[in-house]
Amino acid sequence: MSYTLRGRVESRLAALAPLVAVACALTALLHRWWPVEAAGLMVGLGIALDAQAYHGLLSYQPAWTAIPLGAIEFAVLLFLMRSLGISAPLWQPLALFAGGWLVAQLLGQAGFPLLRPGYAEEGGELGSLAAVSALVIGLALAGAGATAYALRPPVVHLAAGVYNGPLVITRREVLIGSPGAVVRGGIVVRANDVTVENIAVVGGENGITVDGVHGTVLDGVSVSGAKLDGIHVVFAGVVIKNCTVDMHGNPLGEGINISYNMGMGMSMIEGCTVVGGMQGITTHSSMTYIDRDRVSGSDEQGIAVTEMSMGTVMNSEVTGALGIGIYCNDRSTCMIDHNTVVGTRSDRASGNPTRAGFGVLASFQSLAELRGNQIASNPVPMGAVINSEIAATH
Amino acid sequence: MSVAIVGSGLAGFTVFQALRRGGLDPEEIALFGPQVDPAGAFRRRAGAIRQREMRSESDGHCLPTTFPGLAVRTALRRRSPAPLLASALDRYHPTVEEFLSHVERVRERCGWERSLRCSRIERVRAVDGGFELDGHGVFRHVLLAPGQPGLNVPEELRTDPRTVHAYEPHAYAPRVCVVGAGLTAATEWLNALEAGAEVVSVRRREPLRQALNVPRHYFSRRGLSAFHRLGGAERAARLRTLLAPSFPRGAAWDTPLARASAEGRFRVEAVLNESDQVICATGFLRGFHHDPLLARLVEEHGLETADGWIVLASDTSVPALTDATRTLALAGAPAQWAFPPADTLAGARYAAHAFLRRIRACPTH
Repeated sequence: MSYTLRGRVESRLAALAPLVAVACALTALLHRWWPVEAAGLMVGLGIALDAQAYHGLLSYQPAWTAIPLGAIEFAVLLFLMRSLGISAPLWQPLALFAGGWLVAQLLGQAGFPLLRPGYAEEGGELGSLAAVSALVIGLALAGAGATAYALRPPVVHLAAGVYNGPLVITRREVLIGSPGAVVRGGIVVRANDVTVENIAVVGGENGITVDGVHGTVLDGVSVSGAKLDGIHVVFAGVVIKNCTVDMHGNPLGEGINISYNMGMGMSMIEGCTVVGGMQGITTHSSMTYIDRDRVSGSDEQGIAVTEMSMGTVMNSEVTGALGIGIYCNDRSTCMIDHNTVVGTRSDRASGNPTRAGFGVLASFQSLAELRGNQIASNPVPMGAVINSEIAATH
Repeated sequence: MSVAIVGSGLAGFTVFQALRRGGLDPEEIALFGPQVDPAGAFRRRAGAIRQREMRSESDGHCLPTTFPGLAVRTALRRRSPAPLLASALDRYHPTVEEFLSHVERVRERCGWERSLRCSRIERVRAVDGGFELDGHGVFRHVLLAPGQPGLNVPEELRTDPRTVHAYEPHAYAPRVCVVGAGLTAATEWLNALEAGAEVVSVRRREPLRQALNVPRHYFSRRGLSAFHRLGGAERAARLRTLLAPSFPRGAAWDTPLARASAEGRFRVEAVLNESDQVICATGFLRGFHHDPLLARLVEEHGLETADGWIVLASDTSVPALTDATRTLALAGAPAQWAFPPADTLAGARYAAHAFLRRIRACPTH
């Protein structure tokens, strides 16, 4: 089809209108803003590409080009989401984008030509249908923006200094620490939709406890000196990113522990550094997405996905764990993708053969799917025990 | 009754489908033409050149919307996604047989015969409130789809007993000279070679190689907007360029020609040789003056013309005879002034959509 510029933009808007509506519904349903933010980005990105690239480059656009152009747009969308700090597990925006793309193709190839017989010869221009679509999209995005503005939680700034805790947060808020803001004795989150940013936590039973709430974001926090776990999440949905957890001197605590969040949706841990502790990152009966983390010097396992968890571990580095680098255990299903596992040490003293220094170990009826990992300098690269399976794909 | 189509070929048939989809009953449309079978002329020509596949793609059908095209229908019938994949890659070309079956199926269910009056219109005259058609009454909105005015045979060959036009039934002599450089000529090269003949291609210029008969962007407003802004002389010159002979790229054409060239059975020459047979693949006569109906229309109404074309508005209507209350429009090859690929099925659809818009906008329709 040979689109006019106007036709491209009008077709784009009309094709995206259903996606924007779905994104708004998802936002309301999930109490998460990323769907509507992603949809808004798709609209802006699409129109920008139409005007600045496609119109000039493609005087005629065969149907097959929708596939490579869609892939490019999705890659740019992900980059923009990352750059703007819009967090969501990869599969969720992928599903939204793929659904929107499919609907757009159906509309472009079938729906619009049926609605408007002159669609092709008019270069994709849709007249009043496009105006209605633009209005719907504009109203939906403006409405979402206004809602977000009206619902935004209060922002509390913590000035530089040392504050004695535990600090218990019992209302929706964004707590932002200035450089040098330190809380001694831990933070406890007891309200939904709390964001904690750039705060150093020292000591406490757990460094940060999140219990029975959803919508928690921990961004740029650092934790050290906790008696039990560095970050302890139970029955809660969280996004933890860019954190530092220092568990040196605490051989029984876990750096980040996410437990029993199956009903709370997917939690994310991304861009965190965890040193020491019994386990660097561990999940129990949870759905967790572990991405771009660095875990070193753990005393039992570097990263453990266990107790009927479903977990993705990707792009992470696990170094110098004692016994097991990445552990998929107890009827769990694990995607282990593009990680580096090096220098795992054999725990001979334990006398346990499953702690012989496995880079990756699947145990007790678990399934680990491996792809593109670098597993080096480990006494045993990988293994599966007690009715478990490791599937390597390329 | 206020709407009439003059011409019962494929262009008229396609316009009829668009009017039917636009909500007009067969009884509201008067259709004038000599033949019941809208594909009759096409069938004869395609048969003469042993054409097996359509040059057009999935959109090359007679229905008023581009979807579902022939690729979708074939995919459903064969229960195979292959036609759809080929269509996405612009590689789907329905067979002539599939196309003709499609025309037949559509004809059977659209009420074509209920509208058809088997009569050849020879004069269209503008009168108050519309157009008078040869004593058949006055119609407010008339679309003329007269078809091609005749086969073009170069003057110097008209009396040559060896000459046959490609679109006339013919067999192949042992030594064949094919005049022309378009799709028909290329088809005849392959036909004659397949029949065991030695073939000489005589042509004034090297043929263009392109998928469709004009570049694709001229099928939409993207290319048409600039075309419509051209002045008369420029537009005529552009049309001459756009309508130059061409045939598609691809091994299906190149491989047999290369093989025959290597065997000394195919060559290009500038002038006719001593071949046993001369096949004129030189298309159709061009210009309104070759069509008695159009020539008379121009003469009686003093219509503006340019280089053999009647000057049309961008929607294929005749500006001097069209206003808010009546329409005279053209479809098929004579409408190329408004839509360069007007002689295709997509071109007929373009004219049909514009005609329907005018009918709907008419306050007295």
